[in-house]
Amino acid sequence: MTACKDFDLLLTLHATAALEPSEASRLEAHLAGCAACRAEAAQDAEALALAKLPPPSEAERRALADLPRRAVSALHRADRRRAGWKRAAAGIALAAAALLAVLAPTVLRRPPEPPPIQLAATALAWQEPDLDTIWDDSAVLDFGGAASTSEGDATDLTLAAMDF
Amino acid sequence: MSEDERDRPGLRVIAGGITPARREEEALVAAFLVGDDDAFGELFGRHQLLVLSIVRRYAASADDAADLVQRTFLRAFEVARRSLARGPRNALPFRRWLIRVAVNLAKNHRRDAARLLRVPLDAAGSGATEPVGADALLRRERQQRLRAEVLRLPRRQREVLTLRLDAELPFAEIAAALGITENSAKVSFHHATRALRAALADEDQP
Repeated sequence: MTACKDFDLLLTLHATAALEPSEASRLEAHLAGCAACRAEAAQDAEALALAKLPPPSEAERRALADLPRRAVSALHRADRRRAGWKRAAAGIALAAAALLAVLAPTVLRRPPEPPPIQLAATALAWQEPDLDTIWDDSAVLDFGGAASTSEGDATDLTLAAMDF
Repeated sequence: MSEDERDRPGLRVIAGGITPARREEEALVAAFLVGDDDAFGELFGRHQLLVLSIVRRYAASADDAADLVQRTFLRAFEVARRSLARGPRNALPFRRWLIRVAVNLAKNHRRDAARLLRVPLDAAGSGATEPVGADALLRRERQQRLRAEVLRLPRRQREVLTLRLDAELPFAEIAAALGITENSAKVSFHHATRALRAALADEDQP
């Protein structure tokens, strides 16, 4: 004799009283006429009853009595520890920032010395500059004549965006 | 229900929505996090037996269980604080944090194999005064076998079974706490029950 597969899950849920009323009525109507499912239901109920723990004992309840006070103390201790670490970390960060402020000008401003060979090469390659070339190169913005070109528009827009 | 309504996935009533009780609880959590220690006592009083019922199966004594309860509350406050700091969208009901944390702490506690040989509820803790006839002895022996079997169940089955059996939570709340569907929780419970029955049948065979 085997239980009806359709009721498998319902039987277990019935054993733990988790069926909706409509499902429970449907199952009970079925159980009234199906001995195999009744046997299944009994086995589910027995297994769950054996596995279930008894209610908490007096000793277990007593052990909880002082917990809120102890837990709050433990939390405050943890908070103080955390605050201590934060202060220490902030102190270290401040000291590091101060050290950086002192060392930064020295470290950042000293240009790296070029290797001697490069210096010699630069000296050999040097030529007296042409003044006209220097003048042309220094004309960064062309203020005349280019206003109607697209390049000129871009220049205008650039100027318009600048905050004089 | 019309076809159209059945096809609409986003609209359903979720158990544990913003109820007045939850608002009150959130207010208590917020009060505690800004330094009101009495709020902790209030929250502890509301949920201590729930947390105890979840962790006691894994504890070796009443004091061990109490220690797990305390660690659960402390950890739950910590995760509630961190999740609130990340914004209200991350906030879960405090009760759900408690259940999640209790399940996880209990699971980790269980790793210590020595604790599996629990005594409190079967002997020391309950102070049981059951009759000690042959039937009662046999029943107690079967209880102990089956409770050991519960701890050997696959994790998901064990969590669902104990949240239902020990904490007596509705499947909707179990599902929400474990991050699974209600149907999946019911199926896990069913498989767990069948596994326990199989263990009983194996033991009963000569």
